[in-house]
Amino acid sequence: MDYTITSIAPIILLPFFAFVIGAFVVSKSQKLAVGISTAAIIGSFLFSLRVFFDFVFGKYATNYYIHKYFTWFDISSETQEFVVNMGIYFDNMSAVMMLMVTGVGSLIHVFSIFYMKEDKRVGHFFVYMSLFISAMIGLVLSDNLFSLFVFWEIMGFCSYSLIGFYVKAEGAGVASLKAFMTTRMGDVFFLLGILSIWTTIGSVTYVDIYKAIHLGEFNGITALGMPLVTFAGLAIFMGTVGKSAQFPLQVWLPDAMWGPTPCSALIHAATMVSAGVYLSLRIYPLLDAGGLTTIVAYVGAITAFGAATMALVQTDIKAVMAYSTISQLGYMVLGIGVGAWNAAFMHLIAHAIFKAALFLSCGSIIHELHDHHTHSHVQEMTRMGGLRKKMPITFMVMLFCTFAISGVPFFSGFVSKDRILGDALLRATESGTFIPVAILGFSAAFLTAFYMFRMMFLTFFGEPKDKDLYHHTHQEHLSITRNVPLIILATFTLGIFFSGSLTGQGFVKVFPKDHGYEWFQTLIEKPDGKNYLEHKKQLFAFEDVKPELELRHGHYDPNHGMDEHQAHHSHAVHGWGAIMSIIIAFSGIFLSYSVYYKKRFSPDFFVNRVPGYYKALRNKYYFDYFYIDILIQKVLFGLNNLIAFFDMGIYDRYVVDGWEKVNKVCFKIAKRFDDSVIDLGVDFTGFTVKGGSSLLKVVQSGKVQLYFIIAIVVVAGYIATLLYGGI
Amino acid sequence: MFEIGLFSYLVIGLILFATGILVMIARKNIIAILLGIELILNAAALNFVAYSKYSVGNLDGHVFSLFIIVVAAAEAAVGLAIVIRFFQIKETAHIDDAVLLKN
Repeated sequence: MDYTITSIAPIILLPFFAFVIGAFVVSKSQKLAVGISTAAIIGSFLFSLRVFFDFVFGKYATNYYIHKYFTWFDISSETQEFVVNMGIYFDNMSAVMMLMVTGVGSLIHVFSIFYMKEDKRVGHFFVYMSLFISAMIGLVLSDNLFSLFVFWEIMGFCSYSLIGFYVKAEGAGVASLKAFMTTRMGDVFFLLGILSIWTTIGSVTYVDIYKAIHLGEFNGITALGMPLVTFAGLAIFMGTVGKSAQFPLQVWLPDAMWGPTPCSALIHAATMVSAGVYLSLRIYPLLDAGGLTTIVAYVGAITAFGAATMALVQTDIKAVMAYSTISQLGYMVLGIGVGAWNAAFMHLIAHAIFKAALFLSCGSIIHELHDHHTHSHVQEMTRMGGLRKKMPITFMVMLFCTFAISGVPFFSGFVSKDRILGDALLRATESGTFIPVAILGFSAAFLTAFYMFRMMFLTFFGEPKDKDLYHHTHQEHLSITRNVPLIILATFTLGIFFSGSLTGQGFVKVFPKDHGYEWFQTLIEKPDGKNYLEHKKQLFAFEDVKPELELRHGHYDPNHGMDEHQAHHSHAVHGWGAIMSIIIAFSGIFLSYSVYYKKRFSPDFFVNRVPGYYKALRNKYYFDYFYIDILIQKVLFGLNNLIAFFDMGIYDRYVVDGWEKVNKVCFKIAKRFDDSVIDLGVDFTGFTVKGGSSLLKVVQSGKVQLYFIIAIVVVAGYIATLLYGGI
Repeated sequence: MFEIGLFSYLVIGLILFATGILVMIARKNIIAILLGIELILNAAALNFVAYSKYSVGNLDGHVFSLFIIVVAAAEAAVGLAIVIRFFQIKETAHIDDAVLLKN
């Protein structure tokens, strides 16, 4: 069985049609919309599962890809070519990403049936989710930056709608607006980057960009005083910064938690925010060629560390998750910056799974904790505690995921994060500029373990802090919609699904097989222009896709193409990195255990030492204050007033009103000219016509004999002329 | 003495023609006008026959005059039919009353 386009198209079309049909039926039947949406995403998942097994474990090699396109619109003239193509680009990376999106998406849909069942607008929620999923799949399938941008914006819209889903909550509207506008900041630069590439090489497909970089087509072209490739890379990376909530545009993600928890799990943890990182992974050659890796690494490191510190002081359980998401996204960006491309992608997938599970567990807790006085759900950890006994399944799932995110061995987070940190350490040994990156990375790992276990201890252990609330909470029983998605996600937090070796460097081998146990590292390769020189685009057609390239079956190279000495150095550094991460993770857990479980000393101990810093953390490093109170209120409003003054006071008053006066005078002159000259001409025409007609009317008397006389006179005149005219 | 030839015929034709014209112009009765027309046609027929006899020397003129007589008969029939119809409507045969197309 060969591969056809018909087996890829349903992956995106099913959720999209579910959205279209759902949008029509939702006002009639909320339940039907829920059913259609869930069925579509599960169908989509089955299709992508098949594609995944074909691509990753099946017959296709590391460098196999499908690239098909069709012309969206063509407005070329004779002198200028302007063709916009859309298409799909599908390789191993897309297959893995696709499986993650549809898999996590369908589990979250199933969970949402439980979580949203009491909401009156549950159908609307699922319709938005379907649109979001189809946009995300479209983004993964896109073969060029432009169509990626289109889907990117659709996702932004869905995010906006879902954050503001609880229309009655007063903060939700503001939060959705904030999220939308903040990501827009990045998107403006992103579009600028796309256009700069388009104007240079006439195409924005990944393959053409890779080729252009490899062939040096960007050389010598500058924009704004820097090489174009740097400019474009930086501009597109700003898109990542906005979408993936990186420093300094991270402010929107914590506010995005106003949305329903399953939407936070899907959009603001697993997929949409990862899409930013996915973009950076796709354009890695651009970042590399532009010399931006240092900036990228620093942005990632600052984000990872800063968000982790802010997570320390949060009391809202979803806020902890939000900051932890920012922090983990920072890790991925850090990984891209230090060249751990594969590890960053692995962390993306691993993070999507465990963070989705964490959010869903939060949802499971929040949904059950119902305050009977205010009739609202409780998210404050200060009112939880001791929930271990009430919710054993949620507890176990959350424990697994917390192990994963903290970097405990045998879990997915350890494998991926450790490889990122190992590479950061490796770069730090090579160049001094990366030493702060490595330090920030390891510190953030420590903080991650600490705040995640702080959350666990505050929520599940100890005595219940709100007895009334605790007693009203129902005992958890295994249910399909509530627990099964959680359990499945928790299963995939185990490290063996990502790497056969414990640490990802192959020195503790779980499966003692030479090749194949590192499937992730083997099959997913960093994009490189030299692999695409033979590339030929294929038009869309419903026929078999024949691979035109020589397939290269990958095998795990423990030396990563380095010579013996370098490889030895690299392995040693990675080994030390692994040991350091284990020590750091366990010390973070131990500190958390001492403070929040054993209560050896109170957290006030730290707070009292650095009260100013604590205050800064509580206020999110004053970013909101800076952006809203200073940047918007003072600078932008001031600018606004200045422009308004120019507009109203000067332009409106003198230019517009002055122009009115000029027009009035002109009008008067024109009116006089019209009345006297033009009208005279018009009247004269009428008068002459009237006179002529009264003159001619005389002969048309209706007297036949008169006509006869005239005829005779005329004929006589003719004859006289003929006879005597010649004389 | 005065010899009867082409000129005499032409003079009679002229007199007939002029009489016809005068009748058509001067008389107000439609039937009289039709009579005037007959006179004009007869003048033309006489000219054809005269030229045919004295000048050309073949029978083309005779054939034409026969045609003219037939056409005159037909024309008189149609004309009288119109006059009768007109008389039924207006109860008069005065030409100046034929003003139905005016205004």
